[in-house]
Order: sequence, then C-alpha cells, then structure tokens
Amino acid sequence: MSTALHGGVLVIAVAAREARVVAALGRRALSVQFRRAQLLMPTFVLPLLLLAVIASGTSAGRNLKDFPDVSSYLGFVVAGTLLQGALLAGLTAGIALASDIEGGFFDRLLAAPVRRSSLVFGRLAGTLGLAVLQMTWFLLVALLFGASYPGGVLGAAGAAVLAALTAVGIGGLACAIAIRTGSMNLMQSIFPLVFVLLFTAPAFFPRDLLTPTLHDLSAYNPLTYVVEGARGLLQDDAGLGDPWLGLAAAVGLAIFSTALATLALRDRARRT
Amino acid sequence: MSSRTNSPAGPVAWAFWMRSLGEVTRVRGALIGTSIAPLIFLLGTSGQFGKLVGLPGFPTDSYLSWIVPLCCLQGAGFAGAAAGANLARDIEQGWFDRLLVAPVARPLLVLGPVLGAITRSMIPVTLVLVVGVLIGADVTGGVGGIVALYAASAGFCTVAALWGIAMAVHFRTQQAGPLMQMGVFLGVFLSTAYTPQPLLKGWLEDVARINPVSHVLELGRQATVSGIDASLAHTWPGLASLAGMGLVFGALALFGLRRMGR
Repeated sequence: MSTALHGGVLVIAVAAREARVVAALGRRALSVQFRRAQLLMPTFVLPLLLLAVIASGTSAGRNLKDFPDVSSYLGFVVAGTLLQGALLAGLTAGIALASDIEGGFFDRLLAAPVRRSSLVFGRLAGTLGLAVLQMTWFLLVALLFGASYPGGVLGAAGAAVLAALTAVGIGGLACAIAIRTGSMNLMQSIFPLVFVLLFTAPAFFPRDLLTPTLHDLSAYNPLTYVVEGARGLLQDDAGLGDPWLGLAAAVGLAIFSTALATLALRDRARRT
Repeated sequence: MSSRTNSPAGPVAWAFWMRSLGEVTRVRGALIGTSIAPLIFLLGTSGQFGKLVGLPGFPTDSYLSWIVPLCCLQGAGFAGAAAGANLARDIEQGWFDRLLVAPVARPLLVLGPVLGAITRSMIPVTLVLVVGVLIGADVTGGVGGIVALYAASAGFCTVAALWGIAMAVHFRTQQAGPLMQMGVFLGVFLSTAYTPQPLLKGWLEDVARINPVSHVLELGRQATVSGIDASLAHTWPGLASLAGMGLVFGALALFGLRRMGR
C-alpha cells in the first residue's frame, strides 16, 4: 500500500516538475517572439489586411444563388482569417525553433535533465498562448469594423479555441520540420506552402461554391472542418459547419503533429 | 566631379546587372519563393472565388483568366521588392560603401539591380501564364495582349524595385524587408484584384478607383480577359500609371542615394 502511495506521489512530483518546465519554455517562446516584433508583424497584421481586402473585394458574392443567408459577410469570412492566423502562428513556432537550433540554444536544452517531450510541449504552449492572443485580436478588430457574431461570446470563444488548437497542430508540423532540418532558411521558404493548406479549405467561401476540383480536394483537408466549425459557432448556424467535427479535426491534428515532432526530437537526440 | 563619374555607363550597368542576376545561382532556392507563391495564389484564388464570374457585370466567364494577370503582377512585384532587400543586405555588409566611392554615376548603382529584377521577374510571370493557360485560362488578346501583359509585369517590377531600393537606402537594414513586400502587397490587393470596379463595395471601391495599380492590371488583362479588348484605351492609363509611379519612387531612390555617404 505504502509502495503504491509512494509511486503515486513520485508520478505527481515528476508531472509537476515537467509542467513547470513546459510553462517556463512556453513563457520563453512567447517573450522571445514579442522581443522580435518583425517576426510577429506578419502574424498579427497580414491576416487582417487580407480580411479587409477579401471582405470588401468579394462581398458581391453574397448575391450568388447558393450563398448561405448570413447576418454579415465580414462575420462569415473572419473564420478564414482565424485559420490563416493559426497557420502563421504555427509556422512562426517552427521558424523560432529553427533559430534556436541554429543559435545553439536548443543543444543546451537537449543536455538538460528534462523529458524530451517537454521541450516540444513547451514550444507548443508558447504557440497556444500566441494563438489565443491573435484570435482575440482578429475577432475584436473584425467586430469593430462591423462583423456580427450571432453565436455570442460563447460562439466567438469556441471559434477562437478551435483556431488556437489548430495553431498547435500546425506548430507541431513546423517544429517537426525544424527539428529534422535545423534550417531557418528552409522554414522561411515553406511560407508559401502554408497557403496551400489555406486555399484547399473553404476558408473564405462556402464549400458548395468552390470549383468542383477544390470542392472534392477540400474534403481531405482537416482545416476544412475547423473553418466550417468555427463559422458554425460564430454564426450560430450548425448548417454552416459542425463544431464537434471541427474540434475532432483540430485535436486530431494537434495529437498527430505533436507525436511527429516528439519522434523527430528523439531521432535528433540520438544523432547528436 | 567628372573624375568621379568617368567610367563608361554601359559596361558598368552591364556588370551590375550581371551581378544582380548572379543571385539566382549563388543563393540556392532564391527563385522558389517568388515563383511558387503566385502559382499557389493562382490555383487557390481561382478555386475559392471562381463562382464570382456568375455575377452580373463580370467581364469574363473564366475567373482563371481574370486572376492570371494579377498573379503575374504579384510575382513581378515580389521579384522587384527582392532587389531592395538584396541592396539592404549589401549596405549592411559594407559592400555598397565600396560602390559609393567608385568613379561611377550613382543612378547606375540603381539601374543594375532594377534590370536584374526585371530579368528575374520574367520567370514567375512566364510560369504563371503557362500554367494558367494549361489549366484553362483564355488568351483572348493574342500577341498584342501578351505583349501588354509582359509590359505591365516588367513595369510593375521596375516600380516595386525602385520602391524597395528607396526603402533600402532610407532604412539601410534588411529589417525593412517586410515593409518592401507590404508595399507590393497593398498596391496589388487594394485594386480591382478580385472583382471589377462595378462589383467592389465599401471603402475598397474608392481606394481601387484612385489606385494606379488598377490601371496597370487593366493593361495586363488585355491578354486574358475577353471583356477587356486589346486597345489603346486600355493601354495608355496603365502605361501612364507605371510612368508616374516610376518617377515618384525613382526620385525617392535617387534622393536617398544622394544622401548616403554625405
């Protein structure tokens, strides 16, 4: 009995220590990114610029026959902005990690007496924090410029959670690539590829109005279910997307990519 | 003064042009980003907004044809902005200081990178055009239209390069890179990028009307948009806009260059 109790206490102590490591690394990841504002500008400004241009440039699309009846076009396309923000936040995590690898800081972390997976979780905790700030910022700015969210505060919070979890998923993929290659240049050059994920999902237009090829392709992109789920929550209309399906896609992607990054880290540790 | 500028202009401009082109072979993957990004944008945007051609007043029934010139301009613009980023790197690393004390006219220091950028921009422009046509864009303007599209792209690349160089000589740091790209991004997208002027709504309707890039797009769209026929009426506004923007940003670049080293 006392052995089992002792084992339980030990597990809790180890978990608490690792949680402190994850929190510290997450705080560091966030503060480093805020220190280098040039890295953050694209993630906070670029999606809003694209939102402004798309909302004004394509709003005539509401007159198309199959366009769903929504209270505001801006409120409809802002879900695509959340998705774009998630992609950029995730990519930023990979670039920052590659910078740590190139600068030698990551090797010092590898020599520290902590679990390898905590190094990945710490980085992704920073991504989660960044994404929450981003999503709040996007939703507030869009609200100020006339977007309406019939789903209310709960709907907006739910959409932000979906997008933030997606940022973690994309961050995991970016970290896996960064750990495998250790190259900041390569991470920066995959920036355009991020838009492949964005454009193969119905980010700014309803799925039924995509061209037939893209319509078929989008069914295989997990981000399709995230953006539709976020749209359903913001517009309080399950016909626009199923939030639970969106949550399953976001969580699934996060688990898969975190495992990928952890495996890449183990492999790197073996090699170095 | 004459002793400072006694090198023959032609060979000097040629040497700077070739040096600028050398970036393509020296920096691995230098062209990948500027070539792939407009292609992804072409495929993604035409897939997302393709049904917009069903709206009354849209001048073509192929959104791909509408978007090809935009993506050509985007690729050319980013190739131009890269000239500014490369110059900023040369300034930071001290190489440009050596050029400033060379006995050559200062405008030649700008001319070489601009010519290099125009040459490099032909790769993404041609790639976008070829892929666009292969997947269904129409070439309604014939040879004249294609010439107009290449003229619009080369002209916009020049404007973007002069803008980038003006930023580089003003800030003298590579950290101004996002500012150079942002200028191109805003110029292109605050125009009739997605839909024609009559279908724009709200603030963008007014901004696109006064944005000279809208005229440059019209110049390029003579190649692929059936509703914009190849004619002087669709050509002169674009050429005049390019000349105006070139003069403004060229003057800014030369002014900044003159202040350097004082």
